[in-house]
Amino acid sequence: MAGNAPSAAPPSPSGQFPDTPARGLLSGWNPPQEQAASHLQHANGSALAELATNKQPAVQAQPAPISPAHGPGWYQNLQQPASSWPWGAPPRSQQQLSSPAPFPVQQSPAQRPPAPAASLAPFYSSQGPAPQSSTAAPAGSRNGSAGGPPRGKKKQRKKRRFPMWARVLVAVFGVILLLVGGAAGYLYFTFSPSVNNIVGQQVQRARGEEDPNASRNGADILSGPRINILLLGSDTDEKFTNADGSHSYLAQTDIVVTIDPATKSVGMLSIPRDFYINVPGYGMHKLDEAYALGGVASGNADYSPGGVALSRYTIEQDFGIPINYYAWIGLTGFVQVINTVGGVDVDVTHPITDDNYPDDVGNSKDPYGYMRLYIPPGPQHLDGITALEYVRSRHADLVGDFGRSARQQQVLSALKTKLNNPDIIGKLPTIANDLNGYVKTDMQLSDVFKLMNFARSINPNSINKVILDAPYSSTGTLPGGESVVFPNCAKIVPVISKMFDLGSKAACNIQGSTGNTSVAGVSPASSPQVAPVAEIPQVSSDSLQTASQLASMSMMSLFAGGDQYDFSGIHSLLDLLLLTVFEAPQALQV
Amino acid sequence: MRKKQTSKNISKLSLIWKPRNSSLLLLLLLAFGLQGCFGIGGSNTSNTPGTKPITTNANGQQVGVNQTQNLFKGKIYFTIDHNLWVIDPSNNAREITHGGNLYDPAISPDGKWIACIARYKDYSNLIYLSTTGNSAHLLRSGNGKYYQDGPYVKSTYYWYAQPAWSADSTHLLFLSDFEKEDWYAATGENAPLLDLQVFSISLNNPSKPQDVAYASFGDGGDRDPSYRPGHPNEIVYTHYAYDAATQTQQVIQIFLEDVTQIADHPGLYHPGSPSSAFDPGIAITSPKDEDLQPAFSPDGNAIAFVKREASGTMGIYIMHVPENVTATPNDPKTEQEALIPYKTASHILSGQYVSQPVWSPDGKQLAYISYDNSTFDLWLANINYNAKTGAYSMQGSPVQLTSGGIDADSRPFWTT
Repeated sequence: MAGNAPSAAPPSPSGQFPDTPARGLLSGWNPPQEQAASHLQHANGSALAELATNKQPAVQAQPAPISPAHGPGWYQNLQQPASSWPWGAPPRSQQQLSSPAPFPVQQSPAQRPPAPAASLAPFYSSQGPAPQSSTAAPAGSRNGSAGGPPRGKKKQRKKRRFPMWARVLVAVFGVILLLVGGAAGYLYFTFSPSVNNIVGQQVQRARGEEDPNASRNGADILSGPRINILLLGSDTDEKFTNADGSHSYLAQTDIVVTIDPATKSVGMLSIPRDFYINVPGYGMHKLDEAYALGGVASGNADYSPGGVALSRYTIEQDFGIPINYYAWIGLTGFVQVINTVGGVDVDVTHPITDDNYPDDVGNSKDPYGYMRLYIPPGPQHLDGITALEYVRSRHADLVGDFGRSARQQQVLSALKTKLNNPDIIGKLPTIANDLNGYVKTDMQLSDVFKLMNFARSINPNSINKVILDAPYSSTGTLPGGESVVFPNCAKIVPVISKMFDLGSKAACNIQGSTGNTSVAGVSPASSPQVAPVAEIPQVSSDSLQTASQLASMSMMSLFAGGDQYDFSGIHSLLDLLLLTVFEAPQALQV
Repeated sequence: MRKKQTSKNISKLSLIWKPRNSSLLLLLLLAFGLQGCFGIGGSNTSNTPGTKPITTNANGQQVGVNQTQNLFKGKIYFTIDHNLWVIDPSNNAREITHGGNLYDPAISPDGKWIACIARYKDYSNLIYLSTTGNSAHLLRSGNGKYYQDGPYVKSTYYWYAQPAWSADSTHLLFLSDFEKEDWYAATGENAPLLDLQVFSISLNNPSKPQDVAYASFGDGGDRDPSYRPGHPNEIVYTHYAYDAATQTQQVIQIFLEDVTQIADHPGLYHPGSPSSAFDPGIAITSPKDEDLQPAFSPDGNAIAFVKREASGTMGIYIMHVPENVTATPNDPKTEQEALIPYKTASHILSGQYVSQPVWSPDGKQLAYISYDNSTFDLWLANINYNAKTGAYSMQGSPVQLTSGGIDADSRPFWTT
């Protein structure tokens, strides 16, 4: 009677091959029938081969083993004698089939139509008429009249027929499997190339520079000792003129974020780009030139490992702040992201005027040039470049950073609206591509994800934010007339000592051995302390690791709740960009 | 017979509708559901019924114009991607200029000229051109350069914005910061007055501008100037400032002013910080509210304006113009009287990012920009005036005139 009950549907896929060997064992199995062999080779063999070459993500390969349970191999396997199974006893499914009435009808191979589609084969094999094959499916087979013992028509129909709900359930399950598999493939092929170019971008430390990560013993980014992260914001136009007349790039934003996992306290130190300090091996320069000087040796690219290395080393040497990780941001990335989401719509609260806005994005060739802003008040649409101007201007409010922060909140809120629109899913690959080339970090994606989640969870007002402008520094001019910012060491040392828990290691070694005040005529000192940047190896991310992280990012954020879904960590990477562009933790509240 | 036919149809349906098909239907429903979830499909085209596409804007949206005839009288000028456009009651849309980066078109009362702003990097020019789009004339150029002044970097670039014609088509009001350098001489502080102020020029002698209304330092200056119809000496504008006490809170008010006051009292008035500025403007809206973008009715007796009501929500209101308050500015009693009409202002409508109201030439309609479907577009509202109560109200529902997105940072203009 059990065979007549609704539960007499084909054994579940998992029940078909409970003893299915590991993938490696499958390669030794030789199904006697061509169809089964070719199917398995397609479903499993290819996946194995691709996995071995790291070309296929694990997540995509997962649905494949399920196929044999549904596909042609399923019913053909039933015909195999026990001796044909290489691991001894036949599968449990075959044992079950040999017991009385474990399954509605056991037709002979001749009566059973071939399965045209792998996933639907079980239905066709039991019901018969679905495949249009005159040789394999005689008309009478539907009612069982063409073979098998004679039975009552009504009774037989009951036995053979799957309930509608079961068919729908399995069909929906199949669609879901297809979607999950498709989504996994989509994740990998769409985001992996971009993410690979963003995270895990290791930059070798300069000779003599201490690696603070060595003592962490691989501890989680939010556990263990304090971590310091250097955020470098840079334009992507060639502005800095080298001694040979070539151009390279500056880092306009230099921020060190410090996190003490034990106390969950966060500090944020903004160092003015015009800080006139010692760049190791190059003498006295503005801080933003360290990136350019380091970049010369690595080919003058917008993102330059040498620029990162020298900026990081400069901070460590001059102030005694060890840097665990870095993140480099290209301002153009922000512009592109805003443009990709179709711009942002805001109500500009008052006319924005600024005669000294940095002319550092676009086609300007003047590294210290200014441009003028006039953004009229009222509701309006801002494209990427105007949105950047709106959030970056420092001279448009009497209330300084408060006004700037309010403007940033407007743009962030508008951006949030755009990012929460379902339409954005279609644009995520483009956003990932926008970030590609404009966000670089030596952190792994999972580190960025954890870090940004942590940062979002804390009150921005609790962050100890210090900007090293007055009274920590004063503006002045060099003999050549160049405007610079002179550090006030007596004020700086106590602050960074406390913020970074440095104790006596806090320093202010800002006097260089070689004073070079000419921006255009800069040349390295005779014995540079920095490792030859051209030799710095690039450590690319492991693609399997990235694929795994992409999947886990999506799942973690899916189950994390809240109103944000961090699809493949793209939102976290976007946060990293916003944090650097806005130079404010409030940026993470999107 | 009919009954038989029906049962036959049902029979046919039952042939089509087999239980097996329900799974197909479920799958279809699932597919449609997922399509909705993932936002697949759709288009960037304007799907507003009854609209005729006229162009595709920089955001990739198809801009359309409502094809319902005679929704309004006269012509409405506006900009799309800062190209000048005009539409007429037959809903014919015409692009007047292309590629000029133009803002704030204003048609002269004699119908011959369009004054507007041509914007460039670092500066803008005040120009006027014929209503056909030809014969452009430069009135004032903002072009200049950066220069080093000791430790300071200064510039001789200027902004010009929002021209407005006098009733006789001989003078223009406009905004500019061309006096920013004067701040150095006046105060000794090396901080330029970047805030835009109101000036006027004669078309016959544009090189000699007249100061009309001063700005408060630091909040961006003045906006939305226009002459009062029937009162050639009175103007209205929005004044952006910080509060005098703490200089941390924004105060955004609409001011009425006698255009001759500064000219007639040289040296008396001057721009300055919120606590030190002294000007002949008189506030006609409350400092507790944020009111902006005033527009005179054609008879000059009422002002439509925008009030910021809540985050993102803005309302259009209409108030009567206070009379006889501009002759005695800075008089406490007059200042109180000037605020009385505001207290009885009529609320017309509210919505997200509602802005830039302009009156129809007959005073029976308002055009304004509203934010709908993620785009800024022109809408029309019929206005009713109750002579007994003195209240204004909206008649019927607003009608959308354009779709797909026009420029919201450039005020439209409505003429006969």
